[in-house]
Amino acid sequence: MLTIKAALAAALVSAAVATAAQAEPKTNLLSQWSEGSDAAAIAKLGEMFTAAGGKWEQTSIAGHTANTLAKLRADVVAGNAPPAVQLKGPEIAEWNETGMTANLDELANKEGWDKVVAPELLPVMKPGGHWVAVPMNIHRINWIWGSTKAMEQAGVKELPKTWAEFNADCDKAIAAHLICLAHFSQDWTDATTFEVVVYGQNIDLFRKAFVEGDTKAMRSPDMVKAFAQMRLMVSKYMDPGIAGRDYNTATSMIAKGQAAFMIMGDWQIGIFTAAGLKTPQDYQCGQAPTDWGKPGFILNSDSVVFFKQKDPDYVAGQTLLAQLIMSPKFQTVFNEAKGSIPARLDIDLKDFNPCQQQSLKALQASIADGTLVRSMAHNMTVLQKYRGAMLDTITAFVNNPKTTPEEAANAMADAVDAQK
Amino acid sequence: MSNALSANQAIQTKPALREKLGAWTPRLAIAPGAFASLVYVFGFTLWTLYISMSNSTMLPTYRFVGLKPYFDLWSNARWKIAYGNLFYFSAFYVVLSLAVGLALAIAIDQRVRGEAIWRTIFLYPLAVSFVVTGVVWSWLYSPDAGIEFLVRSLGWHDFTFRLTTNRNTAIYAIIATGIWQSSGFAMALLLAGLRSVDPDLIKAAQIDGAGPARIYRKVILPSIAPIFVAVAVVLLQFAIKTFDLVVALTQGGPGISTTFPANYVYDLMFQRGEIAVGAAASIMMLLALAVVLVPYALWTVWRSRREAAHG
Amino acid sequence: MVDATLDLALDSQARGESLRFALRRVAIYAFLGVFALIYLLPLFVVVANSFRELPEITQNGLIALPHSFSLKAWPQAWAHYCVAGTCEGIKRNFFNSLYMTIPATIASTLIGALNGYVLSKWRFPGSETLFVCIVLGVFMPGQVALLPWAYILGALRLSNSVYGLILVHVIQGLSFTTLFCRNYYINIPDDLIKAARIDGAGFWRIFFKIILPLSPPILIVTVIWQFTGIWNEFLFGVVFTGGTQQPITAALVALATSQMNAHPYDVASAAVMIGAIPPLLIYLFGGKYFVRGLTQGAIK
Repeated sequence: MLTIKAALAAALVSAAVATAAQAEPKTNLLSQWSEGSDAAAIAKLGEMFTAAGGKWEQTSIAGHTANTLAKLRADVVAGNAPPAVQLKGPEIAEWNETGMTANLDELANKEGWDKVVAPELLPVMKPGGHWVAVPMNIHRINWIWGSTKAMEQAGVKELPKTWAEFNADCDKAIAAHLICLAHFSQDWTDATTFEVVVYGQNIDLFRKAFVEGDTKAMRSPDMVKAFAQMRLMVSKYMDPGIAGRDYNTATSMIAKGQAAFMIMGDWQIGIFTAAGLKTPQDYQCGQAPTDWGKPGFILNSDSVVFFKQKDPDYVAGQTLLAQLIMSPKFQTVFNEAKGSIPARLDIDLKDFNPCQQQSLKALQASIADGTLVRSMAHNMTVLQKYRGAMLDTITAFVNNPKTTPEEAANAMADAVDAQK
Repeated sequence: MSNALSANQAIQTKPALREKLGAWTPRLAIAPGAFASLVYVFGFTLWTLYISMSNSTMLPTYRFVGLKPYFDLWSNARWKIAYGNLFYFSAFYVVLSLAVGLALAIAIDQRVRGEAIWRTIFLYPLAVSFVVTGVVWSWLYSPDAGIEFLVRSLGWHDFTFRLTTNRNTAIYAIIATGIWQSSGFAMALLLAGLRSVDPDLIKAAQIDGAGPARIYRKVILPSIAPIFVAVAVVLLQFAIKTFDLVVALTQGGPGISTTFPANYVYDLMFQRGEIAVGAAASIMMLLALAVVLVPYALWTVWRSRREAAHG
Repeated sequence: MVDATLDLALDSQARGESLRFALRRVAIYAFLGVFALIYLLPLFVVVANSFRELPEITQNGLIALPHSFSLKAWPQAWAHYCVAGTCEGIKRNFFNSLYMTIPATIASTLIGALNGYVLSKWRFPGSETLFVCIVLGVFMPGQVALLPWAYILGALRLSNSVYGLILVHVIQGLSFTTLFCRNYYINIPDDLIKAARIDGAGFWRIFFKIILPLSPPILIVTVIWQFTGIWNEFLFGVVFTGGTQQPITAALVALATSQMNAHPYDVASAAVMIGAIPPLLIYLFGGKYFVRGLTQGAIK
């Protein structure tokens, strides 16, 4: 009798669980954020998803970005596209063209995303005129970070505003037996520094070469000039140890005052904070040098793309996840830690780091002045194949002192032409 | 021999049905495994070959465009570096692994004490994955904590050892690490070969008054030539597949100097969404293999024919 | 053999030669000793650093005699370290690898033995060609096979699972196991088979009663080869599985090749050791048979 009762009860419970499961939104987010503050941010999203009644799973693929993309492609080829993937820039458009991405227009209209999201992001998130992706943040790439200690030692009062000032400050740092620029050489870090140089010297060149992929612009004397500045920085202002160095070592060169400056996107704030450093006591932030005297902004944005699903639980999960990512609460929590600013422009940044507040002002000013661009180095402009070709040339140039600026400019144009 | 003869006779007198069944059982038994292997070897290769002549980018598609992906590939500077690296690496890795392996085998063959221990020491790296090998050696090559750090802390403050951070020498770091991993394998097989040489041959040479060095050169090594070739072929297929080692050791850097074909294929197919060009690159890898394998296959056939003729 | 040569030569030489002989011995041991040091250095570094404290490692470098002793890194690596978004160490990945490697090794070895048996003892028209075709698979680079495998695993509903990886490894392994077994079985005298057939033994009976009992030397080779190969494989593991299903190599890469962090050398060393211990044990106990078996015909 007892056993029958128990069996009945068990059957009832499992039936109840089964019906609940049918209504339960679930998701599995594929991302490359597997370490440090990135992983923590994803975990936060998971907590919010679970708290909202969803069943959360995530697949974070470590190592090279290629591993994440290989996983995505293998899943799509195998016929089970993941419900949610962290993807960016032109790749959103490319996947959209395959017709496999889910349409989020209904939710977007209901929540009025078009009015609150930074306008520069709209064409990226709505590649065919429909919402298929949601932005998590806005990163600014063109930052220069100063080591307060090293700057004092070198007698540099404030961060350089132009490249001429930058070079002069570097010479001061070297005279004080310091390294001027803390760097570690990877293809993306070399490209980050180089795109900041190009942008700061000549914004039109940046647009033509890096946004439109115009190879004539890449061969132009202006590009040669940018490579020449890069050569000066690599050979003189950086130290010989850039190859094989890891990120945290480069950061500690600023923390310990061994190097005066660092050029890196605003995720550096998250890294400084995690290392216990504060502004302005330990580090200072400013717009990377520009020679055209206006506020500027190189933009990068992380986003999540949704692929069409058959399972209604996953469909429900996509709506919930998109809603959560766009919620002011997530945009605040996520970006405070990561160093970026919210992709929604209607959020008050009073609790954010001063550098982040400065970032928002620069974003608004650069929209007003027409100086806002998207980042090539961080895969927001040209197709991945062109970007890969450009990154190859830039990192080869950085690591080969024998390549002249003219050769590098032509090699970049050739490499991009070869991909057409 | 008489046994075999009677067996033949016995089989010939069996009933026909039994014989037929007997003839088909083996073929049925091998069918599943053989089918899977053939699909794997030919199905996959032909599919890749076709894709390498299609306009596939993000996902595989089947519109034929001829050799265009191959032209794209060969106009690419990084691919040329990768292909060059492959030949450079393969040559050094195979030859030096054999040389080190042979030197160790000959030394161990001098009736040393604790032979099993020496053998284990030289063979254990083969058990370790390329991932682990690459990670650990990248630590050892790192100036901040590895060999340079050690020597400097011993007092030579100007000592530099920075193979992996210089684009001209990083390839040697990969070669050296590869040799560390594989020379024990060569040692083990060559040692076994040294031991299998016909003692009479050696005695005959001794009677002719030949010294040990001469005996090795003129008698022993020539008679184990087939082992050299077999080991070389095994090492070569490792060399051409080199992927994990580079990922863990240099990530293809500094710059793009240590890109290998397998790494570039992966990059093209998955990172850059250039599936057709990536497929073309992998076909080029297979061609590189064929350059070596076809002569080897011909040589093997020739050798077995000759043995059969003499035997 | 050459030792015999040397001894003989020695006997007939004058006494002054014995000094030269002693010098030669010293030179041989010195040569082996230097190489042994190089070969053991990485092992020493990893073992030692898995028991040292991180600050001490950073201060004295990786290659140093331990001045501190700590057991912390091992449980940390096993059960607590954060890899790929979860903080459960590499325990789960270790078991994934085990669940994948053992069945795949057994299956590929048995099928390879059967293939080798047929191709050496039951030849039929075209069987030599078939052998060559199967063996060509030895040379297939993994990247060529990635996308086709994705299709097949998807069609069989095996993507994202350890079972899918088992299938991939069994089929890729067949080329090696067939090569090894066929080359070994070909040295088993045909007379033995013929005698058994006279006694009325059929195809399967001969396989189980005669061939398999004679096979341990080559089965040890294929098991060692397959076990280490599958355990150490990285590319398929990372592409065909995700999250909780990933094998240990994927976790090790995640842990050790981070470009963000200065390496947590102590935990990474312990993790590397955990990942390397199973194949190392196999080599330690089976190495002798491995070499013997290989030279008995596997590689010819």
